[in-house]
Amino acid sequence: MRTDGYLPIADYAVVGDGRTSALVGRDGSVDWLCLPNFDSAPVFDRILDAEHGGCFELHPVEAFEAERRYRDGTNVLETTFRTGSGVVRVTDALTLHDEHALAPLRELVRVVDGVEGRVELCWRFAPRFDFGRRETELGRRGGALVATCGGEAVALCAWNAGDGSFVLSAGERATLVLAAASAEPLVLPCRADAERRLEEAAAFWREWSGRASYDGPWREQVVRSALVLKLLTFAPSGAIVAAPTTSLPEQLGADRNWDYRFGWLRDGIYTMRALLSLGYVDEARAFFWWQMHATRTSAPRVRPLYCIDGGVKTTEEELALPGYRGSTPVRVGNAAADQLQLDVYGQLLESAARFRSRTGSLGAATGRELAELADYVAERWREPDAGIWESRGPQRSYVQSKAMCWTALDRAADLAEAGALPDRGAHWRAEADAVRDWIEGEGYDGERDTYVRAPELGAEADAALLSLPLCAYVDATEPRFLATVDAIRRELGAGGPLLYRYTGAAEKEGAFLTCSFWLVDALARAGRRQEGETLMAELVELGNDVGLYAEEIDPTTGEHLGNVPLALVHLALVNAAVSLAGGDGA
Amino acid sequence: MILAALAGGLVGTVVLTTGSRLAQSVGWTRMDIPLLLGTVFTVNRNRASVIGYAIHFGNGLVFALAYGLVFESVDRAGLLLGAALGAAHGLFAGGALLNVLLPAVHPRMGTAWTDARDTPILEPPGFLLVNYGRATMGLTFALHVAYGAIVGLFASF
Repeated sequence: MRTDGYLPIADYAVVGDGRTSALVGRDGSVDWLCLPNFDSAPVFDRILDAEHGGCFELHPVEAFEAERRYRDGTNVLETTFRTGSGVVRVTDALTLHDEHALAPLRELVRVVDGVEGRVELCWRFAPRFDFGRRETELGRRGGALVATCGGEAVALCAWNAGDGSFVLSAGERATLVLAAASAEPLVLPCRADAERRLEEAAAFWREWSGRASYDGPWREQVVRSALVLKLLTFAPSGAIVAAPTTSLPEQLGADRNWDYRFGWLRDGIYTMRALLSLGYVDEARAFFWWQMHATRTSAPRVRPLYCIDGGVKTTEEELALPGYRGSTPVRVGNAAADQLQLDVYGQLLESAARFRSRTGSLGAATGRELAELADYVAERWREPDAGIWESRGPQRSYVQSKAMCWTALDRAADLAEAGALPDRGAHWRAEADAVRDWIEGEGYDGERDTYVRAPELGAEADAALLSLPLCAYVDATEPRFLATVDAIRRELGAGGPLLYRYTGAAEKEGAFLTCSFWLVDALARAGRRQEGETLMAELVELGNDVGLYAEEIDPTTGEHLGNVPLALVHLALVNAAVSLAGGDGA
Repeated sequence: MILAALAGGLVGTVVLTTGSRLAQSVGWTRMDIPLLLGTVFTVNRNRASVIGYAIHFGNGLVFALAYGLVFESVDRAGLLLGAALGAAHGLFAGGALLNVLLPAVHPRMGTAWTDARDTPILEPPGFLLVNYGRATMGLTFALHVAYGAIVGLFASF
């Protein structure tokens, strides 16, 4: 199952509580958990260091087969282990705030139920703080194992689970609880409270997912994606982390390993559309205001990404870790935060327009802030930038960025005409027209009959252009766009529904799943629904056994690559399904 | 002198509480005085923090009153005498008040004769508060010396 101590990325499921999340391997090992928040240092980091990384193993002693599922409509994971002597089921969840008892700051509950026969299990609790850069002190408090490091502490409370191994017969139950504290004393829970909190968490997730107002095709995958997005939402701020992991590689053994534990403005439109389409207005509102609050610290310059609390401390550093299957460097922080990415302005203005159309008002102060952003775009849209794919090479005049500048200016003009922004609508409209003239002139290759990635990159194709209808730049039925879709499929196709991001990406990474869902979305909007449905059916088969998607997939081996689960893929899945169902998505 | 000591107690408690919070934030200690005090009365973390802060400020005034009485009885006050009282206070807080007395009266804190199997428990401070981090006792001592010095300084005006 493990290669050099590493599980395949697709073998991980995720549980979370809206503040942090844990990756649970198919073999029952929790190999990733940051505490107390998504962007904190991990206590379990075996996905990046198989030999020395922290982990929390729990599995049968003898050979086993594992089946997994989430309880219906929840983020509570059930792993069923079948052995020669019996069957046991492990239920994993991060619990939620407790009104009835003093509860740990963060709590991972693992309940083991004997289902058939008699099974011997073993567990190993091996936390390691801060990627091993700081010393972990081990001790005991009462009956609990405790590990501390500075202001951080975790404890393991176990009932009916022995001291590392135990035997469970049908009908018996063991419970293991990880309790975490940060800058406060540990709370060591009692068994009944922890088990109750697990059931309450399941009830919350069921109730929440039950509110999804979507009855179209692929509802199961849409609801799973909604649950993933909610799980990746940092509840205190409303930000959505791009993924809860860092440095899972886009190509095995290579260096495209990035920290995704931040909120990306690039996801703005897709997030607003997905959440509003599913009826999650409160979550959309929280996300929108997180965007606005975060960008205030640097406006009118907008950074591509912000910390989940809205902060800007995103300094990138490389850690001396072996990395997932030798993929180095392992990075924390993300230097892309300092890039100029003009597309984010379109994301913000379009998000604002969608938010306003759904909820009524933006407020005068927000209107003035958005106007400042529109002015900034009007002044700088001609400049090259790093683009949506965050190129660390020379800046280019990416057509997708320009299209998003058009979106920013056009939406600003619309909002100004509606009285939501100061009255500089005519100026913004004129600049939007100038952007469009540039795109339709410089950004279109008449000979190849396609929009180009960037004029200075010659014949390179860019799958980001599939998002142009989503970003409202173009109607999907326009001949130029349809020709671009065909060109992208021809030049970037990786087999079946898969696409590479841009020309040349095949040598450096896997196929980028988000682009495939954008393709489905584009086909649905273009009226080529049958084609879109065929691709969608193939794409939903590419999720792992519990419906999660990593960033990319190896077209040859089918192996998942990159950070997991990736919010952008799940957003694209929801939006594609909504388009196939004929919805405009708010 | 008593009133001045009380004013000093208010300022001193602000300094002590802020210093303690800063030390938590940078990871020097996990001692959270408002949470420890507030959870005597409630399991709700928000309410516990509010109640805990109120109790801690109340305690700061009570101890300032005691300091004032000491100053009155010896008919002198000053920064050094206050700091000396604060040192004794800090040793008492770290050595007995938090380590022995609080667990004895705290319904949710473990003692030597409880374990994790029966009730939800708040991690006890341990000998010289070491469970909350090795720097905790030193910080507690230093912050109480600062508190005492401030009370003494105010009382000397």
